[in-house]
Amino acid sequence: MRRPTPRRAAPLIAMAVLALLLGAVVAAVAQVEVKSSAGAVTRSRLPNGLTVLVRENPAAPVVGISVMVQMGTRWETRENAGISNLLQLMVVRGTTSLNGIQIVETADRLGGSIEAIGAADFSEISGTALSRYWKEILGLVADVAINPSIPEPTFQAVRDFLVRQIRNRGEKPYDVALDTLHARIFTPHPYAWDAIGLKESLERIDRPALVAHYLRHYVPGAMVVAVSGKVKAAEVLAEAERLFGALRTGPVPVPTSARSPAPAATRDVLVVPGAQSQILMGALAPRMTDPDHAAVKVMGTVLGGGMAGRLFSELRDKQGLAYTTATQYPSRVDPGAFVAQLGTAPENTAKAAAALAQELERIQREPVTVEELQVAKAYVLGNLAMDRRTNARQVWYLASYEVAGVGYEFLDRYIAQVRQVTATDVQRVAREYLSPIRTVIVQPSN
Amino acid sequence: MTRLFRAALSIALALIAAGCAGATAPPLSPAPPPSPAPSRSAAPPRVVSDELPPPVREILPNGLRLIVQDQRSADIVAVYLWVGVGVRYEQPDELGYSHFMEHMLFKGTDTWGPGYLDRAVEGVGGRSNAVTSFDYTSFYIVVPSEATERAIQLLNQMAFRSIFDPQEIAREREVIFEEANIEADNPKSAIIRQLYGLVFDGHPYGRPVLGTRPTMNAATRERLMAFYKRYYTPENMTVVVAGPVDPQAVRAMVDRTFGPAPRTGYQAPPLPTPTPLKETIRRAAERPEQQAVLAMGWQAPRSDDTNGDAVDLLATILAGTESSRLAKRLRDDEQLVQSVTMNYAALMGGGIVSLRAELEAKDVERAEKIILEEIARIQENGPTEQERQLAVTKFEAQHAFDTETSEGLANAYGLAETTWSLEAEIQYVDRLRRVTTQQIREAARRYLSPGHYARLAFVPRGGPTSR
Repeated sequence: MRRPTPRRAAPLIAMAVLALLLGAVVAAVAQVEVKSSAGAVTRSRLPNGLTVLVRENPAAPVVGISVMVQMGTRWETRENAGISNLLQLMVVRGTTSLNGIQIVETADRLGGSIEAIGAADFSEISGTALSRYWKEILGLVADVAINPSIPEPTFQAVRDFLVRQIRNRGEKPYDVALDTLHARIFTPHPYAWDAIGLKESLERIDRPALVAHYLRHYVPGAMVVAVSGKVKAAEVLAEAERLFGALRTGPVPVPTSARSPAPAATRDVLVVPGAQSQILMGALAPRMTDPDHAAVKVMGTVLGGGMAGRLFSELRDKQGLAYTTATQYPSRVDPGAFVAQLGTAPENTAKAAAALAQELERIQREPVTVEELQVAKAYVLGNLAMDRRTNARQVWYLASYEVAGVGYEFLDRYIAQVRQVTATDVQRVAREYLSPIRTVIVQPSN
Repeated sequence: MTRLFRAALSIALALIAAGCAGATAPPLSPAPPPSPAPSRSAAPPRVVSDELPPPVREILPNGLRLIVQDQRSADIVAVYLWVGVGVRYEQPDELGYSHFMEHMLFKGTDTWGPGYLDRAVEGVGGRSNAVTSFDYTSFYIVVPSEATERAIQLLNQMAFRSIFDPQEIAREREVIFEEANIEADNPKSAIIRQLYGLVFDGHPYGRPVLGTRPTMNAATRERLMAFYKRYYTPENMTVVVAGPVDPQAVRAMVDRTFGPAPRTGYQAPPLPTPTPLKETIRRAAERPEQQAVLAMGWQAPRSDDTNGDAVDLLATILAGTESSRLAKRLRDDEQLVQSVTMNYAALMGGGIVSLRAELEAKDVERAEKIILEEIARIQENGPTEQERQLAVTKFEAQHAFDTETSEGLANAYGLAETTWSLEAEIQYVDRLRRVTTQQIREAARRYLSPGHYARLAFVPRGGPTSR
């Protein structure tokens, strides 16, 4: 394969303000249908404060469901790092009426799947199925969200599994490099650690802590349910109200209060066995609601978006210095990170690092060309359009913006902002955010 | 996930997925959802026949095959070029040429230079990529529908007018060596690659898709050009277009572009049959990671063998779903493995059932014993009717999810046309529904022999040893 496969757009997250937006007392189900780039979406609010989004999409006989909660690393501390993701793995491993095996068997029988993960700004339970089973899969997702049993023996096994995953992560050059860079950019903000958490914190978490975490976060005002597929909005809403309507209310959780440090130039060089060297350079970058957000996305795409991007065309195609090279700038509720990455042969490390630094410097010095800007913007928007074709991705977008407190319509505003980005904007944000820069290099031992 | 898709996915895992990272994502992080080769699919009669017209298949006068699927779920068109060339067509001194060629076709033609295609495609918001496997090489461009003809033109130029500039050859060779480094760094892909080497020892399917350093270093412009002229002929190609398109309009576009290419009289060389495994081959390799990996492989029916249908369901029941027998026993009950999956890849010359489990080194022997126990159990009693139905539902759902995107269908049709048949693909889910529990038991007896398989373990360096 010529080009490594693009992974899904990185997650967003949830906001404290959402508390205010969703916590408002609503006497009855308020319902609004809006035409947007997402297609026709119905947004409803249940009397207990839970938001329900439904998108009717008859194109394929399948359905996607996402339940998102204001819970994730953003609400964690170094002492309980990873508790959100751990809890998510537990909710799909047993309810008061089904054990873990019965849960996955049910999803398999419906021609679908059920999964749960914790992320930086939200936690998600996702389900898919053949659309003729939409009611059953919604019921299953609701059951794990509302009635998790968190069985003690499974809890021990899952925690051990995660500790092993953290160990494995420590053996992967890319993961080591990214974790090191994030710690540099964010500490003491909780984005400093991956959603999987830290070995020390996971070993400390017990079942009562997990139950307390569940009760604090799984409150209707902090939750969004999104459904997309060959379904009828009115039927889905009625069923969602029946399933989630009785969920006990509580205050919307408040995120950990901590700020990332001011940008600075740092350099770390680490050794991890392997065949490739990993070079990462990055810095603190604007939050998703920042006016610079769209311009930084475009700037990152000029550098590392697709095969027309500068890193791919210059460092790989013209200089043969890399197989993998990319930039990432995931949308975050709090200020996030911009990261440029290069994987190269150990003997090329110094040369590749210098070439990468030079590209990060050049984009600050010279304006991008008209063609580059046009290609980058088309790439950003095309990527979005293609990624949103499946129902599973549609509900992910709908729920993640909604739980972040910006509403799913955020995507339309974002698309409009991307279209307006100019070459001057790109150069300005490059100067603003790419200097000073932090560097992490992970090399094989020999 | 259908059987040919699994072939594609296994290859992707074996060769490339390790490097899979993209615009917003890194390499060596957990593998993304299936994507290198979207799953094969047809218009499964009972599921979506009321929504999708059947695909239109035509053969141009020069022998090129064209498949068009009118599919209107989004305003995005997938254009695929499938070529019947891959590792199995390479002579021993040409190892890696198919894959090298795949890369070089993006590097310039007599009308455009390196980087042009990327800008042309990404500049309209599209994507392009390519995959090389044992039996085929495929290229795709996915674009908004108004750029359909442009995508067809670009693929046509790549197919017939690439120039193989010596300087570009030298640069791209280094990129491919890096790709090999990435594969080596990822134990999950490396172990499957090596397992193929054991199960297909002495056969082209046991060879490295990325070639070897000596063969790659010896690849000159002349040698690559000769390989290109030999295999990139209209008789050896299929173009697939899926999306909101009119089949007649697409035919006209393809006539204008691929139509003039002359026949060369190409005939596919005979395909050797893999030598059956005579015994159990057991190997262990020390690796830098603490995480151990166990892989087991059996020879299985080739793509045109209808016995493969039962093997599809068998592999699914044993370890193809979250609630499979081995997932329940090894992962949930005994808690010996972190993951366990079984795949059936039906290649044109022979198939392989491969199993992979991630576990701790101390548990490798015990896990293997339990796997053999579970195989013996299904050989003795067969699956339950409920298990059979669940496995069929999984394939039906996979087809349904494929219809969400145009590339899901285009990939499925191209793969089927190149390594199987479009007809067989379209009837696939219906055929699976007719497979009985008895046939699944027979497939287990016939193909999962306890005395004829390859077993490979990756264990940590200096850790507990494993035979």
